[in-house]
Amino acid sequence: MIQKSDDIIIKTLARILVPFIQIYALYVIMHGHYSPGGGFQGGVILAASLILLMITHGVKDTQKRISEKAVAIFSSSGVLIYAGIGVLCLVLFGNFLDYSTLAKILHVDPAHARSYGILGIEIGVGLAVMAVMFSVFFDISQGESSGEDKEN
Amino acid sequence: MEVTLLIEAMDTSFRLMEDARRQAVDLLNTAVKLTSETRTVEEKNIQAIFTGAQESKSGFQNLVVTFLMLFAFWVLLSGKYDLFHLALGVICSLLIAYLTHDLLFANVRVGDARVIAWRFFAYIPWLLYQIITANIYVASVVLGPKQRVKPQIIRFKTKLESDISWVTLANSITLTPGTITMDIRDGEFFVHALDKKVADDLNAGEMEDRIAHVYMEADHIYVQDALDVAPIFGELKKGL
Repeated sequence: MIQKSDDIIIKTLARILVPFIQIYALYVIMHGHYSPGGGFQGGVILAASLILLMITHGVKDTQKRISEKAVAIFSSSGVLIYAGIGVLCLVLFGNFLDYSTLAKILHVDPAHARSYGILGIEIGVGLAVMAVMFSVFFDISQGESSGEDKEN
Repeated sequence: MEVTLLIEAMDTSFRLMEDARRQAVDLLNTAVKLTSETRTVEEKNIQAIFTGAQESKSGFQNLVVTFLMLFAFWVLLSGKYDLFHLALGVICSLLIAYLTHDLLFANVRVGDARVIAWRFFAYIPWLLYQIITANIYVASVVLGPKQRVKPQIIRFKTKLESDISWVTLANSITLTPGTITMDIRDGEFFVHALDKKVADDLNAGEMEDRIAHVYMEADHIYVQDALDVAPIFGELKKGL
């Protein structure tokens, strides 16, 4: 079970770092098709920032920001975005995840359609990975205290 | 005849003295009133600074500042300046700023942020100089022929008030060789020091003063001093 940290140094630095970690995670997700990184890595960084917030500011404070329900919605909607783009390519008479067929509905040339398609895929992967990572950590941290006190 | 004149003159002088006394009392009364008025105003200001700073500055302004900082960070990272990527950056920064704007400026206190930023950058060279001299001193202690290492833990109550200044002080202490901040408990620092000279240097409190200056935290002490004069005026008034 996670206890709220009493250490003011860790708390303050975490509070200042979390927004920058999150914007870095989004940068990694959004630039996955130009530079190292991508949906999975960015999602893990995003989840790490939330976990950092949780171990410094306590479970309650983190739950106010992102509830378990929101985590469930994020994880399933991430998979939905991924599968949706894949199936959309099938519907447009291409292969599964064949982004170039998206050019027909996006009205751009196939190269750009591939770029946008993979961006969408990465957003979906990032969302799903973030939510699942966070919920795994959350479940592990809560499991210990299931029978005992539940003040945190 | 002369006696009447004398009595008249005495009368006039008494009247004049009475007038002067009344005027002096009036003057002092006004002074006391003015001071107490300033006092209430100042007290209100201080209260606003301590309690209402977050509320009055909160919300939208925090959001905008956080957004600008995050967007600048994004542009630095991204290095792509076409419309598509900048628009992505704006969307992402807005999202993160909306989610975390209460984190970055959780305990904003007195002071102009620009002045604080400027003073903070001016503080860094001094800290670097401090680190270099402490490095040389610690090397001389460790490598010297005599055994001079006398580890000790010192504790002191800090006069700093916000968590960010505590953290700056704690990290400055840890960055300086020979001293390590072990813990902060209710504004009390527990510092491990390598020997007596290092501990004395820390207890002299120059670093603390400089950090108080950086975060503009010592300034309100002067306001307090001015307010302490008010009771003296009260005493003066009673004496008359």
